[in-house]
Amino acid sequence: MTNDEIRGMTLEKNKARQPKILVFACKWCGLIGADGAGRKKLELPVDFRVIPVECAGFVEPDAIIRALASGIDGVVVMGCHIGGCRFNNANHQAIKRLELLKELLDATGIGKERLMISFGTAHEDHQFADIIKDYFRKISGSIRLEPWVESYVPKR
Amino acid sequence: MGGIICAETVTGIETMVEETKKLVQKFLAERESDGILGLRKGDWNIIQPHVFTLPEELDALVLDPKWPFAKLAMQILRTAPKEYRLAVICRGCDERAIFELFKRNQIEENRIQIIGIPCSSEQARLCLCERPYPTKLDVGDAVPGVDPFEDAGVKELLMGDDTRRMKRWAQVLKRCIKCYGCRNSCPICVCEPCKLENEVWVRRGSIPTEILSFHLIRAFHLSDSCVACGACQEACPVGIPLQSLQLSMRRALRERYDYIPGCDPVKKSPILGDFVDEPEKDRSIPEWVNTLRE
Repeated sequence: MTNDEIRGMTLEKNKARQPKILVFACKWCGLIGADGAGRKKLELPVDFRVIPVECAGFVEPDAIIRALASGIDGVVVMGCHIGGCRFNNANHQAIKRLELLKELLDATGIGKERLMISFGTAHEDHQFADIIKDYFRKISGSIRLEPWVESYVPKR
Repeated sequence: MGGIICAETVTGIETMVEETKKLVQKFLAERESDGILGLRKGDWNIIQPHVFTLPEELDALVLDPKWPFAKLAMQILRTAPKEYRLAVICRGCDERAIFELFKRNQIEENRIQIIGIPCSSEQARLCLCERPYPTKLDVGDAVPGVDPFEDAGVKELLMGDDTRRMKRWAQVLKRCIKCYGCRNSCPICVCEPCKLENEVWVRRGSIPTEILSFHLIRAFHLSDSCVACGACQEACPVGIPLQSLQLSMRRALRERYDYIPGCDPVKKSPILGDFVDEPEKDRSIPEWVNTLRE
């Protein structure tokens, strides 16, 4: 067995096991938690990426749909708690919009659990780590989106 | 466009047409508006939209089948001179669409007049319409609406477990040929430039399209403004039940904020405001949120 084959097998194995998660973290809450979790070297799953945003209200629902369409298994949006927004209660609107998006995802069978919105619960590093770990556990049980997505994402 | 006239209601429809003709005659005589947009039965019984300006033309006026007028009215008013005023013979959905266009500054309120007519109960059942009547009826009587969630086809698409539903929707949406008919026919889709033409969201020149991005982005943009006119579904050449995509979001808006898109020309969508101005049912906010405001 050549090295390339072995590498291919491991890649395949990893791909089958781990769900991929995208986190939109508000700079004032979620990102502070993420930063702290990294600094304290808390135990965290591997396959998640954090995109810092100025405010949770910046997160377009279209971006979440696009992420799901390109093979991401779950999206987390983290913002400040209700009333703690730095930008004229923009997080209220974000909650309203994303709750509606959940309805759409549920109607098409993609499932409400693909999108997690967490407002004001990830300030601290251990809170952030808990949320990510819990979400990974939850999303691993649900089926992959790939059979639905695969053939429609054009191959480069 | 999918209109069925039932035998026992034919006389009712005839009197309705006569009444509408009288009303339109009055509009033209008093010069309240420069033209009236309605349906005209022309040569060889071809029915098409027409702007009536002369009383002699009115013999050819018909009310069926259902024809979405809102976008047409908007386009007429855009090309017409500034002082041109138009009256439109509106069904419930046309009126809701025109109200939504008011809010988006696409139509000036003083340039358009609405002649409200009700739909027949058959039409309401065909469209699965919850409100087959405008807010102000000028002729005829309103018929009760239909609950779309009672329909067998809708139940099959929206009920059941996630896996089955996902397969069903994938099967249905896979038929899409990316003709953009749903967007072009929608009376609310007026954004310039449209996101569906942007390379970032939907790749150009690839067919079949990425169904998730294309359809869900389109559906979500109309989440709080879809007036359930069914124009997208009628325009779709491959028969995708696009109206069913909006149903759950419409229901959520009604249950949470008591809001039905297009029912009021002034009230804006509740998802544009915060929880203080537009409270949501069953969601409590801390009291000190109010005191933060100046």
